[in-house]
Amino acid sequence: MKYSAITTHPRRRFRYFLSTLSMTVVLSLASHAGSAEKAQRVAQLDPSRPEDALTLTRKMNCSLEDGRPVLHWWKGTMISRVPGERDRVLFNIQGMNIRQCGSFNDPKRGPGFRSVSREVMLFLDPVTNEVLKRWTNPWTGEEVEVIHVANDPVNMRSPMFAYGIDGKPAQFRGTFVKDKVWTSGEAPLWYDNPMAGDYQEYVGNNYQAIEMLSSFTDAAPLLDPNVKTLSSVGISWTRLSGWLPWMKMGGRVGTVVYSTVGKRLESVDDLSEPLRTEVRSNYPTYLTPPPIDDARPNETSWTYIKKIIDQRRLNEKK
Amino acid sequence: MIKRIGCLLLTLLIIGAAPSFAKDRKLDPANPDDQIRLQVKIFCSLVEGRPTLYWWSGNMYSRVAGEPHRLLFKVHGMNIRQCRTRQDPVRGFCYRSVSREVLLYLDPLTGDVARKWKNPWTGKEVDVVHVANDPVNARDWICGRDKDGKPIDRSESMFVKDELLLEGGGAARLFYKNPLGGEYQDYIGGTYHAMEYGTTHASAAEVLDAKDTELENAVLSWGRVSRWLPWMEMGDRDGLVVFNTAGMRLDGYEQLPDVMRRELQTNYPSYFAPPPLDDARPNETSWTVFKKYIDGKRTATSGNSEK
Repeated sequence: MKYSAITTHPRRRFRYFLSTLSMTVVLSLASHAGSAEKAQRVAQLDPSRPEDALTLTRKMNCSLEDGRPVLHWWKGTMISRVPGERDRVLFNIQGMNIRQCGSFNDPKRGPGFRSVSREVMLFLDPVTNEVLKRWTNPWTGEEVEVIHVANDPVNMRSPMFAYGIDGKPAQFRGTFVKDKVWTSGEAPLWYDNPMAGDYQEYVGNNYQAIEMLSSFTDAAPLLDPNVKTLSSVGISWTRLSGWLPWMKMGGRVGTVVYSTVGKRLESVDDLSEPLRTEVRSNYPTYLTPPPIDDARPNETSWTYIKKIIDQRRLNEKK
Repeated sequence: MIKRIGCLLLTLLIIGAAPSFAKDRKLDPANPDDQIRLQVKIFCSLVEGRPTLYWWSGNMYSRVAGEPHRLLFKVHGMNIRQCRTRQDPVRGFCYRSVSREVLLYLDPLTGDVARKWKNPWTGKEVDVVHVANDPVNARDWICGRDKDGKPIDRSESMFVKDELLLEGGGAARLFYKNPLGGEYQDYIGGTYHAMEYGTTHASAAEVLDAKDTELENAVLSWGRVSRWLPWMEMGDRDGLVVFNTAGMRLDGYEQLPDVMRRELQTNYPSYFAPPPLDDARPNETSWTVFKKYIDGKRTATSGNSEK
């Protein structure tokens, strides 16, 4: 298998050929049809215009069509990090988020949008990929019930506009390189732990996590104002936090790391197994996003688990 | 008019002919040898010795118990790589990559290359030692099959999903003898402990096309969790650093951001080309590089004090 005799790069040669070809097609069509010519010359979205920056941000997240559901899916592993021992793969994970966006308009702040969504993530056996019901904690030896992530809703608290409250123009935080564009960022989370007490600044136990997301797509459809919904978006999502409450690790030192890769999907039919069957059977409300005017407070894994544990405790008392 | 129609016909003829190109052989993501070809097309090239440049950028945070994560640095990284391929009678299609790598720590506000850093926990100002690892090579051939000829299944971490080829979702879990630690790490700790993870996204149509030798538009994400970097002089203090970055394959050095290209020209000129294909040197890591740096500094200091 020797390719070293090839001096010029065949792919690049092919590309030149293709672009010459498409140029010929465009020119010959244009000379026949004026309307086609006009369609070819619609201005691209301009990331430096606040209104367009808003549109670009919205396209990376959902659809420009109000109410059109957009589905993202990811899979990977959850790994423990404990000082003094080799990191352990605890679970395979598969997750999905179903989302829609709605348009808003503000006389001062210009056009805006809000996204509303629901999210499921399953903890699977790292070898068989079975959906886990119970898990033997290797550090405590205790068998615990697995509580999967089912967060409803996961919403933008308020719409994002072309101009901020302070008049600051919206910026599109995308990196354009060659034919590609991506957004990449981190959300360091630090707030009162909903499962901890009223004196956290004195005795600790704050909620501490960091979420990291990169989304990749092709620059041409993103910048094309006629494309309302991007058809190809790849994502990578990672997260660090303390132990999940259902692991019953108490105050033990350690971190869990989620490492995943995924993409935008056409429909729930395209979800991988066992997530597709599990969502249809046990999380049917997660097949559609919440309503655009959803006013409920956001659910996080911690608030969700607290409700389950509180309910269990009530049942035990009865 | 006739001429124009002729031109249009010719165009249609060419377009009509195009699908016969597309019928050419496709790589099969379920085939163990083709899985290696896909990796080679993404990481380097099926053309042996063709240099491949990747670049990525992002942020580095601290994670310390009892306080919010802090953004410590912006980072810019690059890797220049080349590969060898061979067909082995038992192990199938194989490749070995050789590369060099630089990662720069930038001031998070100005974006300038950081030279000194005031450690906010100790209050001490320290020299920033950037990553410059030469070489970062595959230790051995990576092949489609093991030494008994049994196919190695990589489909859990590299697979086609609709229009994309995706790679990732796992992590390299590193836990080995710390080159900066002593001889009794099993007893008193100090082991090197880090996790690295990455993803790649590629157009399935492009990467599966068997006549194509490399993928121009591969994008990637890279992240890492480790203890404090040695140059931070954090000693035994608890805490982690977390990297999150995204990037892609570049056509050449002119596409690097100015800050990185300038720094390479000034301080890392050997990183404009990959190491030789038969490079047999042991790999360099940030920890081994730092050890050489600090050992050199100590020698210089003791030399001075003797005078």
